Amino acid sequence: MSLRVLNPNAEVLNKSAALHMNINAAKGLQDVLKSNLGPKGTIKMLVGGAGDIKLTKDGNTLLKEMQIQNPTAIMIARTAVAQDDISGDGTTSTVIFIGELMKQSERYIDEGMHPRVLVDGFEIAKRATLQFLEKFKTPIVIGNDPDKEILKMVARTTLRTKLYEALADQLTDIVVNAVLCIRKPEEAIDLFMVEIMHMRHKFDVDTRLVEGLVLDHGSRHPDMKRRAENCHILTCNVSLEYDKSEVNAGFFYSNAEQREAMVAVERRQVDERVQKIIDLKNKVCSGNDNSFVVINQKGIDPPSLDLLARAGIIALRRAKRRNMERLVLACGGEAVNSVDDLTPDCLGWAGLVYEHVLGEEKYTFVENVRNPHSCTILIKGPNDHTIAQIKDAVRDGLRAVKNTVEDESVVLGAGAFEVAARQYLVNEVKKTVQGRTQLGIEAFADALLVVPKTLAENSGLDTQDVIISLTGEHDRGNVVGLSQHTGEPIDPQMEGIFDNYSVKRQIINSGPVIASQLLLVDEVIRAGRNMRKPT
Amino acid sequence: MGYQMQPYGIQAMLKEGHKHLSGLDEAVVKNIDACKQLSVITRTSLGPNGMNKMVINHLDKLFVTNDAATIVNELEVQHPAAKILVLAGKAQQEEIGDGANLTISFAGELLQNAEELIRMGLHPSEIISGYTKAINKTVEILDELVEKGSENMDVRNKEQVVSRMKAAVASKQFGQEDILSSLVADACIQVCPKNPANFNVDNVRVAKLLGGGLHNCTIVRGMVLKSDAVGSIKRMEKAKVAVFAGGVDTSATETKGTVLIHNAEQLENYAKTEEAKVEELIKAVADSGAKVIVSGAAVGEMALHFCERYKLLVLKISSKFELRRFCRTTGAVAMLKLSRPNPDDLGYVDSVSVEEIGGVRVTIVKNEEGGNSISTVVLRGSTDSILDDLERAVDDGVNTYKAMCRDSRIVPGAAATEIELAKRVKEFSFKETGLDQYAIAKFAESFEMVPKTLAENAGLNAMEIISSLYAEHASGNAKVGIDLEEGVCKDISTMNVWDLHITKFFALKYAADAACTVLRVDQIIMAKPAGGPRRDQPAGMDED
Repeated sequence: MSLRVLNPNAEVLNKSAALHMNINAAKGLQDVLKSNLGPKGTIKMLVGGAGDIKLTKDGNTLLKEMQIQNPTAIMIARTAVAQDDISGDGTTSTVIFIGELMKQSERYIDEGMHPRVLVDGFEIAKRATLQFLEKFKTPIVIGNDPDKEILKMVARTTLRTKLYEALADQLTDIVVNAVLCIRKPEEAIDLFMVEIMHMRHKFDVDTRLVEGLVLDHGSRHPDMKRRAENCHILTCNVSLEYDKSEVNAGFFYSNAEQREAMVAVERRQVDERVQKIIDLKNKVCSGNDNSFVVINQKGIDPPSLDLLARAGIIALRRAKRRNMERLVLACGGEAVNSVDDLTPDCLGWAGLVYEHVLGEEKYTFVENVRNPHSCTILIKGPNDHTIAQIKDAVRDGLRAVKNTVEDESVVLGAGAFEVAARQYLVNEVKKTVQGRTQLGIEAFADALLVVPKTLAENSGLDTQDVIISLTGEHDRGNVVGLSQHTGEPIDPQMEGIFDNYSVKRQIINSGPVIASQLLLVDEVIRAGRNMRKPT
Repeated sequence: MGYQMQPYGIQAMLKEGHKHLSGLDEAVVKNIDACKQLSVITRTSLGPNGMNKMVINHLDKLFVTNDAATIVNELEVQHPAAKILVLAGKAQQEEIGDGANLTISFAGELLQNAEELIRMGLHPSEIISGYTKAINKTVEILDELVEKGSENMDVRNKEQVVSRMKAAVASKQFGQEDILSSLVADACIQVCPKNPANFNVDNVRVAKLLGGGLHNCTIVRGMVLKSDAVGSIKRMEKAKVAVFAGGVDTSATETKGTVLIHNAEQLENYAKTEEAKVEELIKAVADSGAKVIVSGAAVGEMALHFCERYKLLVLKISSKFELRRFCRTTGAVAMLKLSRPNPDDLGYVDSVSVEEIGGVRVTIVKNEEGGNSISTVVLRGSTDSILDDLERAVDDGVNTYKAMCRDSRIVPGAAATEIELAKRVKEFSFKETGLDQYAIAKFAESFEMVPKTLAENAGLNAMEIISSLYAEHASGNAKVGIDLEEGVCKDISTMNVWDLHITKFFALKYAADAACTVLRVDQIIMAKPAGGPRRDQPAGMDED
């Protein structure tokens, strides 16, 4: 073979072998992820190299953690990860959709069809499906006062596929309220303004939304108050510790008095800065029993802490940079970089600041704020893997709500869209094209059915029965989805099962692209290394 | 050259060294088996008559204990499913500080019963839904079983405290629970703050001193430091205390300083000014009325000399936390720099004395007056492992006290609660119509594990005990439990064995959660164990 002449160590797979490798890889990946789809999907346990446990149902996490090596599988996994980056959900659907496209194509290719014809069919079908999606979606009005119910339904649909029902329902309210809290009119939603904090404590159902901020550290002085009400909050980025000079400086002294004087001077600069903060505190807090809290991004050294503690100020040092931004959004006021011209206007406000100690860890809660634009989702759980699971789910839930607000539309879920799109392709689009390309459209249409099929399979239902009854209903003009409990057709609108528009669009967009690419590969060349046993 | 077809399925796609287990037989049943093995280990240690385990950990340290949390911690469980149980046990230990054994053993029993259900043909998801319903019902019933009038208790009343604490301590140190629980109760009550909910476990310290026996154990109102005084003054009574966090020595600048000396005279003078400065500082401290100086860092030679001259007792406490506790004991405020202390910053001790106990020099700091929030239980025992085990029993007792400060409700102990739960959950299962009723019934059955194990560990006939317990409970005596000493069933209110409601609640809940989590997993993907040195936290796996 020609390649052997060029590089004797290279390996090559050609024609049908290459195609079959790709198809097999896609099918293999589909098999792995299939059981995770939908609310009745099962959990996978991933054990890392260090023996750490991760439990997940999330396709994205799974693909990331599995350390896949097969080149084709990696390509598919990347598409799925891109899906996650763009829409935050639908990774599992993407993978199984690609797998099913390959599987359907295999049938036709085995019968002697050229992949190119199928790919042409995919392209037509894809465009038609996207047009159909535009017609099929349910527009919703967001405006200034969005309909909470619909947002909740979308969030619930997403969350139920990641967590068990009771917990998912609880998180639904949390994520919807969180997104509405940080939402500002005329501005894109920045999900980064929702702080996600976790505590290893109590149960997963104790997860809650804190309107305000939770910081994962506490004050460092034993005499500071642990709990304060009606607090002025000073958010600052000022170093309150002695900085060594950049140049190589030294003191020369010839008796102890001189040295003492040096020690005093050394501190003076820092002490002056601290004094300014204390002055401000005295200004705003005299005559009432308000408290004063300083949250500093830079350090505060022990002597300064001591001074602040004596003045009755709660001081937190080394706050995270992202929290400084959120703190201002949550409490109001502004972050100051210098203490030279402090005014009461710079201060934020919180009704309650308290410290919570869990074993070695300290947490500071800043709560009861006025008109917050930032909030914290406080995840609780008895162990790390529960927390990680909830964290992933919360992230996806937030994205789902955000997508809905931005798309201003939703798509009926529970497999309703897939079945409707399939009927549309088979009954209408197929007739508009001539020749063998029709088969490509048919393959695409059948591949769409994989979603309701897999949902049925995971619920322990008979897939054929389900598909027949669903398509039957659609032929009669009823848009129905699959009930996970009974296997009967249901109206997703009544049940409140809605998917994100952008998620569906992304799946339809990216799935066929990658499948086409894989189908059109006719040679796989790997230079130097053995393909089957990577060393 | 002929290239074969690529292997099919997930195995082909993963990195070498990966293990992949899936399906009912391979994953679920194997997981259950591993968890069962774990609970078999812990089970024999359940209850007062539980056996001790001898565990030797990777550092060759010997543990002789029947505290499940310690056992599973030192076992270094590798199996992922069993690890979930261990994590549940740890969560219980962190949350309540007691009842880890119940969590692990009960979760193991739940899984064992789940296996039978799977063999009967039930799907794990049905078992999970049944178990979830059952645990919710259990929590309801548990609330009903709470002893009337127990929700209000006086956490300063020793008798009430002891009655609640005894069962927890007895399960660790059977036969010595009377002595221990009264010691622990005394220590806890002494330091209980005005609002009992703020009780801090850290305020009850344990000092282990080799030698003597259990009867030599005492409580000190204050602290016991395992170190000697720095100077030659070893005893001081009714004295004021100054605490310096930064050390007792000449002060230094942050920037490097150099002494500039031009001639011999200056050299001589420098040493003198230095001396004069230290003397001035120490004198200032002595003048303020302080008789005891505590340093958080090094004590300079020269400073020590002047302390001796001004008859000050000098202690060195290098741990920051220990220093804070000392401040809490004496009511002193730690000062950063050596300077003249404000009268407010001074603390007070009744006595500071260095004593020799069992060949070790210890400093005993006592403060009987108000403002002291620390007490220390001095444990005596003949070997290190006995002392360690006693310490764990004391820890459990203190944690129980903390739990009762938060929620003082109690339920009958000695397996009476479990049998009642078994009975009622079973009744509940009959009302369910779906397939999950089998799961609920099995859940109820799992409660029998507790009386069975208690009886077995005490060498009694378990079947006989359980059937007579059921008989008693069926006739409405909901408070009948096992009297392990006589081997008969008795009303536990006559024996005064009570468990805290909150301990049971968390233990059962964590156990059910862990069992459901294990059942929910149907595939395990294991990465190749990371290389590198064993033991220490292995470096994170390489990202590919």
